[in-house]
Amino acid sequence: MRSGDKIHILIVEDDPMIGFDLAVELEDVGFAVVGVAPTVAKALDLLKRHTCDLAVLDVNLGLETSAPIARALVAAGVPFVAVTGYSVDQCPEEFARAPLLSKPFQTARLVAALKQQLHR
Amino acid sequence: MHGKSGASPVRRAADDDTAYLAAIVDSSADAVLGTDNDGVIRSWNRACERMLGYSAAQMIGTSVFDIIPPELHEEARAIRARVSMGESVESFETVRLTRQGRPIEVSITFSPIRTKADGIIGISGIVRDVSQSKKAERSAAMLAAIVASSSDGVVSKTLDGTITSWNRSAERIFGYSESEMINQSIRRLIPPERQAEEDRILATVISGAIVDNFETIRIRKDGAQIDVSVTVSPVRDGTGRIIGASKIVRDITDKRQTREQLRTLLAEVNHRSKNLLSLVQAIARQMTRHGRQLDLSRFLERLQAIAGNQDLLIQNDWRFIPLGDLVRSQLGAFSDPIGNRIAIEGPQIELTPEAAQTIGMAIHELATNAAKYGALSNDDGRIVIRWRTDGTIFDMSWTENGGPQVAPPTHTGFGSRVISDMVQSGLDATVEVQFPVTGLRWHLACPLQRLSRSRLHAKR
Repeated sequence: MRSGDKIHILIVEDDPMIGFDLAVELEDVGFAVVGVAPTVAKALDLLKRHTCDLAVLDVNLGLETSAPIARALVAAGVPFVAVTGYSVDQCPEEFARAPLLSKPFQTARLVAALKQQLHR
Repeated sequence: MHGKSGASPVRRAADDDTAYLAAIVDSSADAVLGTDNDGVIRSWNRACERMLGYSAAQMIGTSVFDIIPPELHEEARAIRARVSMGESVESFETVRLTRQGRPIEVSITFSPIRTKADGIIGISGIVRDVSQSKKAERSAAMLAAIVASSSDGVVSKTLDGTITSWNRSAERIFGYSESEMINQSIRRLIPPERQAEEDRILATVISGAIVDNFETIRIRKDGAQIDVSVTVSPVRDGTGRIIGASKIVRDITDKRQTREQLRTLLAEVNHRSKNLLSLVQAIARQMTRHGRQLDLSRFLERLQAIAGNQDLLIQNDWRFIPLGDLVRSQLGAFSDPIGNRIAIEGPQIELTPEAAQTIGMAIHELATNAAKYGALSNDDGRIVIRWRTDGTIFDMSWTENGGPQVAPPTHTGFGSRVISDMVQSGLDATVEVQFPVTGLRWHLACPLQRLSRSRLHAKR
């Protein structure tokens, strides 16, 4: 972790329990969670109102995918890690260049992938 | 009639001539018999014996009606009447009986037997067994009917692709009538970029092989592209030479769509099952935070509560869960007191799967807590579960009364995080949990659109 101010991270996850758990886990290892967004609209709204250093995107959000969020993050130069229950070839192309973690995963693996993105 | 070859052409006496003619008749391959005008058999050659099983000795002198089925006696009498008036009846198709009583299909040519003085003294019959050709005719008619009524398109073509037959299903599949397609090239149905397929198909058929269930695209008369499966087989003439091809075409547009749906569904199942595993992992992780030991029976109860949600979701085609059903299902383990000690009041609201999971887990935790420490832990406690909406804000409460005296919990465990923190973040909700001595109160307020996509079916 950088000393001083914390790294601000956005979590996009439509399952409330999983999102809640992720937020708790990431806060435990020192991230500042900007919010848990279950929809594209909520995520874009959070991005507008907060400065984010990093993001975790669940690819599938029920009726929509988080592809529009991925595009917004790329445009803003915010690195992200994608997580999904789909197999890799089922993901939209927006995620082709992001690290992809298959659900379920251990927090340590996510944290490692996030740190790698940060230091690219 | 077939005569015996090798007969000498020397002149013979009249008796010899008669014997010679009798020999021709006797050795004829066709059954030949003669009767007098009353139907009494006067001659019966060897072919008659072979076909019908009676010897000449047995038949001569008996009535020809013995070999005619009783129901055809009338028909036979009518013909005999015409022939005895001088008429010939050729290739009349009817039935005769063998010695064993077995009917065989025959074709008979009846002729009057005339004396030199032109008097008619009887009737001759040349009988041919046509049961084999009849059988072939019937099976050909059967095959033609099968082709005509097949739900697959059946088409035949020459080796240069010219269509020679076109059944009704081909009309239905491609939209062209039989008259529009006969003598036309099969290439008319093939998209420009697939014309090479026909070269390959014809080459395969000419080599004597079958093109089996080849899936491709063809064009209908209206220009629409359709998915078809084609089986093409060589057609041979009597000498085994390949003279054309028969083609069976099946419209598999539905099948392809079903396959695509199945693929989507499997991807969905993959995604959902991994998500469920993540959910189980999240619950286990949250239950064991700060080094706490996993309470296995509580963990399993929570998994059961989630499984119950899954059933409700499937019942509604994975689109929504009615809130009332959700509450009742989560209280299932405590269902005895419903309507008596537990009151449930609220309009029908179709929850999104995510909202249903959140509220379902919260209800499960509240009920478990009530059974252990609250209103369901003694005999007198009551719970009122109530929800309402004004179309914008959704409002839900759980109020316990009459249980043992309540004090605020000393630590926040998994259950209390579920009913407050998780509900708050999952539904953008405001949650209040209060512990007056009369019993626990839980109150949730959130935007209606966070938990329901459909218009409200308000019936209060």
